[in-house]
Amino acid sequence: MADVNDKATRRIRRAAVVGGLGLLVQFVAALHWTPMTFILSAAIGAPLVLVGGGLFLRAVWKNMREKGAV
Amino acid sequence: MLPIQLIVALLAGIAITALLFRGAPALAGHTVGRVVLLVGIAALPLLLSIGNISYGVHQSSTTGFCLSCHEMQRHGKSLFADNRQALAATHYQNRLVDRETVCYSCHKDYAMFGDVTAKLNGLRHVWAHYIAGVPAKIELYKPYPNSNCLHCHDDARRFVDGVAHRPIVSALYAGTTSCLSCHRIAHDMAKVDAEQFWQAH
Repeated sequence: MADVNDKATRRIRRAAVVGGLGLLVQFVAALHWTPMTFILSAAIGAPLVLVGGGLFLRAVWKNMREKGAV
Repeated sequence: MLPIQLIVALLAGIAITALLFRGAPALAGHTVGRVVLLVGIAALPLLLSIGNISYGVHQSSTTGFCLSCHEMQRHGKSLFADNRQALAATHYQNRLVDRETVCYSCHKDYAMFGDVTAKLNGLRHVWAHYIAGVPAKIELYKPYPNSNCLHCHDDARRFVDGVAHRPIVSALYAGTTSCLSCHRIAHDMAKVDAEQFWQAH
């Protein structure tokens, strides 16, 4: 069971890193707001946040499966 | 100007994500903790990103945004040209359009996907500015449509009662005669080059 929880934590942390990276890109872009940085923010930062959210949901789903909840 | 509220919100989002990264092992163990993780890692960053993009899309309609590229600065100066016949100048100086969004008000189509088309054209502008290079002569992608003028002037008294408009009003609505065939000067670049500007005070 401990192994399952470790795996789940690792996956959740991976999602947090990717999502946080997306926010960081948007933060840096907002510090120097130009047409180009806005596009970078929307084309790189926002998709990273989406991927982070997706990874989190995937982590939850996998954790539920490993625990036999689904 | 820096979008301070946006910067603070994004910074808070990063801090929350970092905290949740640290606290993930403890939080994942119980229901409330898992909800906190869901909100902090998935929902909050998503909301912040939506806020950031909607701020950017809103900003991209502003006059300051358009004029932030140096190649558009002459057009920006033409808003102050001392010429009552020049369309950009008269619309700006007489506040016929919102000064904050003057470029966008006249240069976006008012058709169903006018906003989307304008934003996509904006991407082309950014591409030209940073990558492909700005053409020697800046031109519209297509002839200026009467519908853009009629969006505001359609039922305006000066347009409806205008003696010059009456005989050609159906041609104007049909687009077979361009408004610009009489109102020839959109941006008075000659006045810009001669530095003849109007000033309110």
